[in-house]
Amino acid sequence: MTTPAIPEGVKRCSTGKFALWLAVVGAVLLWGVYAMFLVWYKGLNQTGMNDAYGFALWIWADLTVIALGGGAFFSGFLTYIIGKKELKSIINYAVIIGFICYSSALLILALDIGQPLRGWFIFWHANVHSMLTEVAFCLSVYFAVLTIEFLPIVLENPKLDRIPFLHHLSHNLHEVMAVFAATGVFLSFFHQGSLGGVAGVLYGRPFAFREGLLIWPWTFFLFTWSAAAVGPCFTVLITRITEKVTGKKLVKQATFRLLAKISGWMLLTYMIAKIIDTWYWAAVTAPAKGFTLMDFYTNNPVYGIWILIAELVICGLLPAVILVTRKGRENNLLLMTGVILAVIGVCINRWVMVLQVMAAPLLPFQDWYMYMPTWQEIATTILPIAYGIILIMLAYRYLPVFPQEKELNSGS
Amino acid sequence: MKIDRRCFLSLVIGGAVGTTLTPVPWKLTDDIAIWTQNWPWTPEPEEGPSVYKKSVCTLCNGGCGINVRTVRGKAKKIEGQADYPVNRGSLCPMGISATQDLYGPARIKSPMKRAGKRGEGKWEKISWEEAISTVSKKLAELRSREKPHTVACISESDRGTVAYLIDRFLKAYGSPNFIRTPSFQDSQELALYLTQGQQGTIGYDLENSDYILSFGCALLDGRGNAGRMFSAYAGFDKKVKLVQIEPRLSDTASRANTWIPARCGTEGALALGLAHVIVREKLYNKDFVENFSFGFQDWTDEAGKLHKGFSSLVKEYPPEKVAEITGIAGSKIESLARGFAGARRPVAVSGGFGQGSLDETLAINALNALVGNINRPGGIAAVSEPDYLSWSEMKIDKTASNGRKKPRADEAGSSRFPNTGHLLYRLPEVINSSSGDSPIQALLVAGGDPLYTMPDSDAARKAFDKIGFIASFSTYMDETARHADILLPNHQFLERYEDVPTPAGVPKRIIGLTRPVVRQQYDTLHIGDAFIRIAHNLGGFIENALPWKNYEEFLKKTLSNQWKTLEKQGYWVDPEFVIPSWDEAFHTPSGKYEFYPTERNNPSGKDADALPGFKTSGIPGDPEQMPLILIPYESIRIAGGAVGNPPFMTKTVDANVIKDEDVFVELNPKTAKEYGFSEGDTAILKTPAGRAKVRVHLFEGIMPGLAALPEGLGRKAFSDYIAGKGVNINSLLPEVAERGSGLNRCRATRASLTRA
Amino acid sequence: MTKQEQHTRTKRYGMVIDLDRCTGCGACMVACYAENNVPFKKNESDKMLSLNWIRVFKVDNGKPFPDTEICYIPKPCMQCDGRHMEGHSPCVSVCPAVATDYDYPTGIVSQIYTRCFGCRYCMAACPYHARKFNWWDPSWPAEMEKYLNPDVSVRMRGVVEKCSFCYHRYQKARDKAYLEGRDEIYEHEYQPACVEACPTGAMTFGDLLNPEHEVYKLSRSKKAFRLLEKLHTNPKVYYLSSKSWVRRKADNYLEGQSPGQQNNARKTETASH
Ligand SMILES: Nc1nc2c(c(=O)[nH]1)N[C@@H]1C(S)=C(S)[C@H](COP(=O)(O)OP(=O)(O)OC[C@H]3O[C@@H](n4cnc5c(=O)[nH]c(N)nc54)[C@H](O)[C@@H]3O)O[C@@H]1N2
Ligand SMILES: Nc1nc2c(c(=O)[nH]1)N[C@H]1C(S)=C(S)[C@@H](COP(=O)(O)OP(=O)(O)OC[C@H]3O[C@@H](n4cnc5c(=O)[nH]c(N)nc54)[C@H](O)[C@@H]3O)O[C@H]1N2
Ligand code: SF4
Ligand code: SF4
Ligand code: SF4
Ligand code: SF4
Ligand code: SF4
Ligand SMILES: [Mo]
Repeated sequence: MTTPAIPEGVKRCSTGKFALWLAVVGAVLLWGVYAMFLVWYKGLNQTGMNDAYGFALWIWADLTVIALGGGAFFSGFLTYIIGKKELKSIINYAVIIGFICYSSALLILALDIGQPLRGWFIFWHANVHSMLTEVAFCLSVYFAVLTIEFLPIVLENPKLDRIPFLHHLSHNLHEVMAVFAATGVFLSFFHQGSLGGVAGVLYGRPFAFREGLLIWPWTFFLFTWSAAAVGPCFTVLITRITEKVTGKKLVKQATFRLLAKISGWMLLTYMIAKIIDTWYWAAVTAPAKGFTLMDFYTNNPVYGIWILIAELVICGLLPAVILVTRKGRENNLLLMTGVILAVIGVCINRWVMVLQVMAAPLLPFQDWYMYMPTWQEIATTILPIAYGIILIMLAYRYLPVFPQEKELNSGS
Repeated sequence: MKIDRRCFLSLVIGGAVGTTLTPVPWKLTDDIAIWTQNWPWTPEPEEGPSVYKKSVCTLCNGGCGINVRTVRGKAKKIEGQADYPVNRGSLCPMGISATQDLYGPARIKSPMKRAGKRGEGKWEKISWEEAISTVSKKLAELRSREKPHTVACISESDRGTVAYLIDRFLKAYGSPNFIRTPSFQDSQELALYLTQGQQGTIGYDLENSDYILSFGCALLDGRGNAGRMFSAYAGFDKKVKLVQIEPRLSDTASRANTWIPARCGTEGALALGLAHVIVREKLYNKDFVENFSFGFQDWTDEAGKLHKGFSSLVKEYPPEKVAEITGIAGSKIESLARGFAGARRPVAVSGGFGQGSLDETLAINALNALVGNINRPGGIAAVSEPDYLSWSEMKIDKTASNGRKKPRADEAGSSRFPNTGHLLYRLPEVINSSSGDSPIQALLVAGGDPLYTMPDSDAARKAFDKIGFIASFSTYMDETARHADILLPNHQFLERYEDVPTPAGVPKRIIGLTRPVVRQQYDTLHIGDAFIRIAHNLGGFIENALPWKNYEEFLKKTLSNQWKTLEKQGYWVDPEFVIPSWDEAFHTPSGKYEFYPTERNNPSGKDADALPGFKTSGIPGDPEQMPLILIPYESIRIAGGAVGNPPFMTKTVDANVIKDEDVFVELNPKTAKEYGFSEGDTAILKTPAGRAKVRVHLFEGIMPGLAALPEGLGRKAFSDYIAGKGVNINSLLPEVAERGSGLNRCRATRASLTRA
Repeated sequence: MTKQEQHTRTKRYGMVIDLDRCTGCGACMVACYAENNVPFKKNESDKMLSLNWIRVFKVDNGKPFPDTEICYIPKPCMQCDGRHMEGHSPCVSVCPAVATDYDYPTGIVSQIYTRCFGCRYCMAACPYHARKFNWWDPSWPAEMEKYLNPDVSVRMRGVVEKCSFCYHRYQKARDKAYLEGRDEIYEHEYQPACVEACPTGAMTFGDLLNPEHEVYKLSRSKKAFRLLEKLHTNPKVYYLSSKSWVRRKADNYLEGQSPGQQNNARKTETASH
């Protein structure tokens, strides 16, 4: 069964089965690609966006995948800089997930701009005062770093590894990986932050606006912190899903628990900061702009105060408490509940920071703006998921992603 | 093998790195970006020096002076002519959008004849020779059969050289049927004739008034001369009071100092109630009433019969009773009357809401007489026909004179309606009820869009179907043009010459000059030239009656005294026009202002039918089955009548007036609740004349029990930018003629609203 | 201040709209479409997909018949001066490609269509919804391209546009003044298309800093206010209304704060700059 392309000592399903699944996911991918071309060819009128909703589903998807992709930089930080050796068993996968998230984010950005062929103006005519400029620069550079981090894993494919040049390249890259990881961490700190800044600097949008430190609004720090907290949860989640799908143990429980513990503490501290931020915003920032807290949560069909409670309590404090307690981590069900809630929490946070910002009326004579994405937007948002699954399928099949796989599955 | 692969990979990687270092990809990226900035399908307007040209807008009867910016012979922008004595620089959005009409898709680009069935929209291009000769042949044929009186011509105006030319043509041809499209001018002209004995229009000196009492006139919503009204409003200082009587909070009502939401159709009663208070409290102008009026007090005629006077009539309208009719509190009526009579230069304006009944117009007019503001600054004045349009008497043949002696097809001037000039709305009934041949065999539509604007569209369509030959001279593919047999498109007003005499309501004598500001865009012909050429084709006396080479020559000859001024200034104000004093102003049998209009057509002979008493409103429909009352409203952002909304104006309309294809009917939230409707619901609106699908918009500013729809929607023709949107309100309104005058008495109807 | 100084001084062009006078006729909108080559579609009823550089809103006092009142609020770009009155407009600072900019000599916020790549961040930043996106390629039916104004470039799909205070008219006036050897542009020489077209004279335009211009006095009137004053966007479009409910509908302030207090706060702020 083992062909030279598949890493040594591991079992993979038959080519036929693999191809079948590839075809299924590939069909979804093609649907997304079709929608993508429609958008590029016909323009953004293919979306449900309008002049009130200049930012919508895609920007949410962007912020969210970047937050979730934060597992890569934070695991890298823990592994290479803090020196948590236990995480070596998951760092490859974290990098791959990060690579998928960031490449998706860039693709979505290329879709989201009205003039994709002028996209490079953001670099050429850069406005240093704009958070988006910061995002664009850090994002592209960090994506390059992620690619470099991903490369050695690709080169470890047995077939490629047999080529001496690539073998050496891979070896050398491994040596300097810590440097790239450190660069990645630095870049990530900034682009995660500037993504938070995108909304936080909008002083004309009291729902989003936050005061802050120097040029950075509090959302700058909150975004970085939340990405660091929840990114690893997402890595855990995807790894566990991969284990379920493949029916194999891939990473040791201890690794999961360690990541969960770190995430839990990060999440708890984040939540404290976030709650203080929310309180200050509701009590001071918004009223200074003429708004009360409930102005943002009433008179509309969707955005009730429930969304704030869901974000802060159910998908914030609750998973934090689960993950910081030993019992919570050791009970598999609780652990996964905590991980999933945390992931949902960050999704909600990014949602409100994009879509509720657009929805809330400012002028007293205006109403809430509601928005419905079109199938083209949904398809292009699902596209990265299909693409991610395919990349994971390929990586899992052909690359030695999980160093502990052989050991953990030796029994079977 | 290994080496090859390695080489290959190095080549690829090296090549990739190398290429990025060359300028090629960067240059390409740059080129692509530049291309996106100059997409060949993004138009690039041609530059050139701006040349401003003065003209006059004829899109509505407002007659505003315009200044057209042109660049390289193309009209770019319509701006107001600051010194024009009507509008003083102000324009309505319709006038500003006229460039869209000029270059727009609704233009008829050449003469055409029908290729398919009527109204099917299939046309065949023809030459002007063929078009003119087809019409001439048809007309000649009818004359040869001694039937010139079966020809009718519809025109939107009976003033100015084009109207006179057409009228003269019909006279020489032998048809009595020159029919002007209906408007509030009809009742005002009739009232003016009956009370002052003068032919002409009522001029309102709104610019100098300090108390304007408007009985439902959509003054700031587009009535009459919108441009002039806006400029008058711009000049109002704090001391000017505007009182708006109307059941819906229109833009006019919202800008008024006082809004009096009287019940629909009860304006006449309110006017009489105000007169009651003014008479009771002796607030009227004694000099005028005692010395220059007739029929205020009871009077005895030559036969010794005692007649009731106006003061006796108004005794029957004490505030308490009027309050019950109108829904306006008695105390309010009293204070309103005192305010009006106490003002220095008050004026009561009639003619909102359609043609207006004669009763209502007379009652409102009487208020002006009571306060003696006739022929005074800030009041009303009779503006007689312009006198520049007199030409040599013409000879007509026997066929023509026989034809002209025949009664008019619309029964205007007949014994039933002796004083009324034009009654277009009678035409469908007359045609539909005639047995045998239609009394109209050939119809020339020289203005207006009757198939769109006539009430009860089904009846109008049926009548038109019976007419054997319909020629339209319309510039645009409107609804009537679509139903015609032959099209002889007129130039658009930015391409043609025309004189524009004093617009109705303006108390001056003015001629404005519409002139070509751009070259003729398509194969069109000035309507004046078309008639001259038809006349020449018909030959004989008809040709002699219209002896001019072309319209331009005729216009210059006619206006020879004013032409220089007109060319230079764009307008001419009659320096000799003086408003006569009271002792010279009235040409009635009594030589005075007649509160009791003795000349009024009054078959019953009763005083009650001569005096403008209030008759319970004749809103058609059964209140049991149709509990609501539907009224049309004029919106300044939607062109009503014959002019189709240009895309620019439709763009300004809010989403709670038109949404996609649907029009919203305005309902008071109370009414909506009563019938179980909420904002945005779709519903079926039924009236005695028709039914339509609408959506519901809740508006606190409309009287409970009413429903309102905007004018100007539901077009089937013009362009894709207006056709198919909403409902034609006219198609839902049954025709209700006033006894004695034949005027359309009421534009409201009973209606029901049910779930779709 | 000497005359010379006054002439060369930086200008802050602004608009004052008298809501007591505006009848909601829409002439300003139409004039702007015609002047600035604003395209149109067959269906314009979705106002969030409708290119309008100025839009006239209809608001009511919420009271039942017959105490209902309505007011129209025309809303162009507010040409915000920004928090510290120094060009930190909400939209300008966020644009990553400097496709929108604050013009210091005039205070006008520009939009460079050929540089904009359509990220729409500026739209998210603008609290007044003054910015509009070209969701479609513009197209003119029949021969309507003939009426397009050569002074204003036609935009392409995928870029943002907005009211420019008819900057091209400013340029023309400035060029003319220059040719005639003047530094000063007279008040009447530079008037935007909407102001010029307003048939009721509800709109006034000029240099807010020049005491000889009408807007100078009007913008300082007791009846004057601006939209969303408390956001500190510092708009250069002022509104006049004698009705407190209108003020309440157009600006947000919390219970207990009177519009007057805000007005005073603003005045001190303006004075300190
Ligand atoms: N009972 C009753 N019924 C009504 C009404 C009413 O008040 N009472 N009013 C309704 C309303 S609101 C209206 S406006 C209509 C009246 O509508 P109509 O009498 O049909 O039309 P007018 O308002 O006279 O329209 C102006 C005229 O100018 C002409 N015109 C302007 N420019 C050009 C041009 O360039 N070329 C050509 N060929 N013609 C041009 C148009 O063809 C049109 O005839 O009737 C409607 N029906
Ligand atoms: N921009 C523009 N201007 C135009 C035109 C156009 O097409 N476009 N058309 C011109 C033409 S042809 C005409 S006819 C005029 C129309 O001008 P008007 O005849 O003055 O306008 P309407 O809308 O017919 O009626 C005026 C108001 O009457 C109110 N109303 C309804 N029922 C009643 C009632 O029972 N009693 C009273 N007192 N009021 C009632 C309605 O609320 C409505 O707002 O406008 C002219 N001006
Ligand atoms: S009011 Fe009539 S004449 Fe005046 S600009 Fe408007 S459409 Fe033209
Ligand atoms: S109104 Fe909006 S677009 Fe205009 S300057 Fe202010 S923030 Fe910018
Ligand atoms: S949409 Fe254009 S103008 Fe707006 S922020 Fe992006 S690049 Fe700048
Ligand atoms: S100032 Fe000029 S660009 Fe701005 S709304 Fe008015 S006409 Fe349009
Ligand atoms: S043009 Fe003047 S009156 Fe008309 S809507 Fe605009 S601001 Fe108001
Ligand atoms: Mo009309």
